[in-house]
Amino acid sequence: MAEVRLEDLRKHYKRGSEVIRALDGVTVDIGKGEFVAVVGRSGSGKTTMLDLVGLLLRPTSGRLLIDGVDTAKLSDRDRAHMRALQVGFVFQEYNLLPTMNVLENVMLPLRYVKKPADGRAHALELLERVDLTDRIKHRPSELSGGQQQRVAIARSMINRPSLILLDEPTGAVDTETAEQLVVLLKRLNTEDQVTIIVVTHDLDVASQTSRNIRLKDGKVLADERVGAASVA
Amino acid sequence: MEILRNVWRRKLRSTLTISGIVIGVLALTTMGALSENFNALLDGGVKYFSSSIQVGPPDGQSASLLPLSKIDEIKQVPGVAAAFPSYGFLAKPGAVTTVSFGVPDEIIAGDPGENDWGLLKLSTAQGHYLSGGAGEVLLGDTISKEFKKKVGDTIDLPVKPADAKPDFINHTFTVVGILNVTRTAPDSFAYINISDGQMLLKDSLPVAIRSQIDTSQITESIDVYGQRGSSISQLDSIADRINAQVSGVKATKPSVIVNSFKSGGAIFTAITTAAALLALIIGGLSVVNTMFMAVAERIREIGLKKAVGATTLDIMREFLIEATLIGAIGGLIGYGLGALITIIVNGTTPAGQSTLFLITVRLTVLALGFAVALGAVAGILPAFRAARLDPVTALRNE
Repeated sequence: MAEVRLEDLRKHYKRGSEVIRALDGVTVDIGKGEFVAVVGRSGSGKTTMLDLVGLLLRPTSGRLLIDGVDTAKLSDRDRAHMRALQVGFVFQEYNLLPTMNVLENVMLPLRYVKKPADGRAHALELLERVDLTDRIKHRPSELSGGQQQRVAIARSMINRPSLILLDEPTGAVDTETAEQLVVLLKRLNTEDQVTIIVVTHDLDVASQTSRNIRLKDGKVLADERVGAASVA
Repeated sequence: MEILRNVWRRKLRSTLTISGIVIGVLALTTMGALSENFNALLDGGVKYFSSSIQVGPPDGQSASLLPLSKIDEIKQVPGVAAAFPSYGFLAKPGAVTTVSFGVPDEIIAGDPGENDWGLLKLSTAQGHYLSGGAGEVLLGDTISKEFKKKVGDTIDLPVKPADAKPDFINHTFTVVGILNVTRTAPDSFAYINISDGQMLLKDSLPVAIRSQIDTSQITESIDVYGQRGSSISQLDSIADRINAQVSGVKATKPSVIVNSFKSGGAIFTAITTAAALLALIIGGLSVVNTMFMAVAERIREIGLKKAVGATTLDIMREFLIEATLIGAIGGLIGYGLGALITIIVNGTTPAGQSTLFLITVRLTVLALGFAVALGAVAGILPAFRAARLDPVTALRNE
């Protein structure tokens, strides 16, 4: 389980002479094992926040601590290692490699870890958990959108990360499939005690998480427990 | 496995790119084999001429004839350790000379003991070396095959031309040995003893003066040796002393002959290698193009790999291996085809003609090594570009 702390985190871009404040002073604590939805309109800074927490971007200012480690002090190489070992990613467009079969896609992150333990067995176990055992030799092009997203979820779990980040995971699937995916994520959150942060437009998805962080113009507009009092 | 799949993902493009490398390596292999064959021939000359001093008649003398007594005079020159008479005759007088990388068939008469002095050592594959008796001949590998001779057979030398005059003379020799392949001049030589050489010399003289010359006291040239292990510069100095102290002869400095051999070989190698390298570099450029296109097509894949933990070096390594693999596949196919062509052409070379190609370990390492290195070098820029991609931009690339 990961504990994530954002302290006055900012990400500004320059577009010509204009400064875009994609994230503008966000302070948030996400506890171990939480299932958090980050919601907001397009351009509110959701994806930027996810990219920062996922160590794909470096902040303009502020601090980001994952399990107490100040990520600003990490080299690019160490950030890559942290991504490999502690963070799992799931994207809207699945991002499965077309030349690899399902099992190989799930095992891909093992390639960048020095000592992958029982990799294949773990991949098969994950595929069983996402109910794709009968598809391990299939190529992504032979799977439905929901199946591809389940492969992506299994891939995100392969290195037993403490944090999983999902960027609009239900954005490319139908409602029924979206519901199944949320059920799967809730189960992983409960069974594996993994911290999950999901960026979504889908209010149904957000309503099934334990906490909603609402962003607007790069700032936290609201931070509330679902069905409970506001956090911030 | 994934890398192979990636190479094969765009079959036509990969095939065309690999074909470019294949053509380049094929050119390098065949041109290189031609060059290696030529160099082997020259190496024999370099070995022979870098260990001896050639002494012949002085400039301006029309006939290549020297009194044998000159050998004793030469042996008195400081630094001279041994000197031997030498005679050479065309084995097939009147034969039309064709374009060839070999040397024409020759009859060489000399002292069997001379073989102990030169750097180019001859050894027998069959039979034995000349014992000194009359009527013996020791055949080089090529000439033995040309005339289909084995130990114990006889051969008439020089070979009588189809249009020979009635007064043409030749003699029957018994083959006492066949030399091992040297890939240089001795392969085309028939070695006989000095007395037989003097007999052929007499036969070669104009009828009008033949009876007036005692060829047992004459040699065509003299091979002079310094102490074993003498350097070329030491032999050059001995040649200078011979010219200064012995009248009626001219000693050629070994360095002059050796340098002419080496420069001839270097020019030939440079021309053939440059042509092949040009072809290969064009192939290399197609690898650069292919890899840049592969990077452009797989931007999201690169972003994903970075997201799941790939470092800049990991991405660079993957693309470099892919480019190297293209080079290696092209290299193996090109080398294989090139080697096959050389084997077929050498195999169809008529007996008695020197083969055109020589595949050596050096050439094999060069051809395959260059193809692999070319692939790797061609992959550097695209791999660097891939590795430097921003993962966020890459992941959202459309």
